[in-house]
Amino acid sequence: MSNQKLYKGSLQTIILKLLATHHKMYGYEITQKVKELTKGELQITEGALYPALHKLEADGLLDIEVVKVENRLRKYYKLTEIGTKETTDKLEEMQQFLRTMQHLVNPKFSLE
Amino acid sequence: MKLTKNQINELYKFTRKHYVYHYDVQSELVDHLANDIEKIWEQTPNLSFEDAKNNSFKKFGIFGFMDVIEAKQKQMNKRYKHIMWRFFKEWFTLPKVTTTIVLFLSIFFFLKIQFSEYILLGTLFIFLIFDLINQFKNRKNQKEKKGKTEKIFLLEAMIGNTKGGFTGITALNFFNFINLSHINFSALEIHWSIIVSLTATLLCILFYVIHYIIPQKAEELLVETYPEYKLVNNL
Repeated sequence: MSNQKLYKGSLQTIILKLLATHHKMYGYEITQKVKELTKGELQITEGALYPALHKLEADGLLDIEVVKVENRLRKYYKLTEIGTKETTDKLEEMQQFLRTMQHLVNPKFSLE
Repeated sequence: MKLTKNQINELYKFTRKHYVYHYDVQSELVDHLANDIEKIWEQTPNLSFEDAKNNSFKKFGIFGFMDVIEAKQKQMNKRYKHIMWRFFKEWFTLPKVTTTIVLFLSIFFFLKIQFSEYILLGTLFIFLIFDLINQFKNRKNQKEKKGKTEKIFLLEAMIGNTKGGFTGITALNFFNFINLSHINFSALEIHWSIIVSLTATLLCILFYVIHYIIPQKAEELLVETYPEYKLVNNL
């Protein structure tokens, strides 16, 4: 998958958006969900996911909840109030980015 | 197929072997590996636990858990600073602000005494010795705890050990600075005296917060930071 680099900068937005739709998720669930939604096109690597989650948590965008599942502890992430607001902003930013790229890559067929 | 309790413990040991020493970070990684191993078994049920585990670990890339550990440490540093600031601020609101003012004035007038720098050097020296003894005790405690339960949370280790980098070394630096610069504090102009006293007051408060208040409230802070803290200690 050579285009993984293109997705890299959007990891935080992807995580926030997923949490906005699914209320609370744990790390592994996020990797699987992304794989499922993109039909395997995008695979979030473990080495990138957890640092991103921890950063979002440190920035106060995510809150955690720990539940004992079977014989282990599971750490769920969910959006805080600030996180919910940030998600809206980030998604708007993302839309803007996509429009700009569209203009650059395909100027003739732009919508505007 | 689901993982057994023993296999979960194996995974904890595995993370420790890969330099993840703190229980909070370990737990998240163990759950991740466990989920992945169970997923791998769905596709290839005959694969051994060892092989499945190694396949799963490979997905973390050549640096293994390093990126995760680093990010977690950064996050916790931020958190620690927040906690420090929270307790530090208290000293500038009533009623504690009176203590702060008294401390400031005492240092200010103390500096006016002739040869105050020698008294200061002596105080710093005594303090240094106390700090060394304290650190030694802390290390011993943590080691004992490590041997017993092996469940140390990252923030717990930071409260006990790093003290936000503000340790005896800081005092040693002051000691050297005062000793080498031969400043005569009693002859300083008034604005310099104020700056020196203010800095000293702020450092004293910071030191007190890091060395006494935060360790005293450790339990409370850990429960606040880790929802699983109580859960784990009751297991």
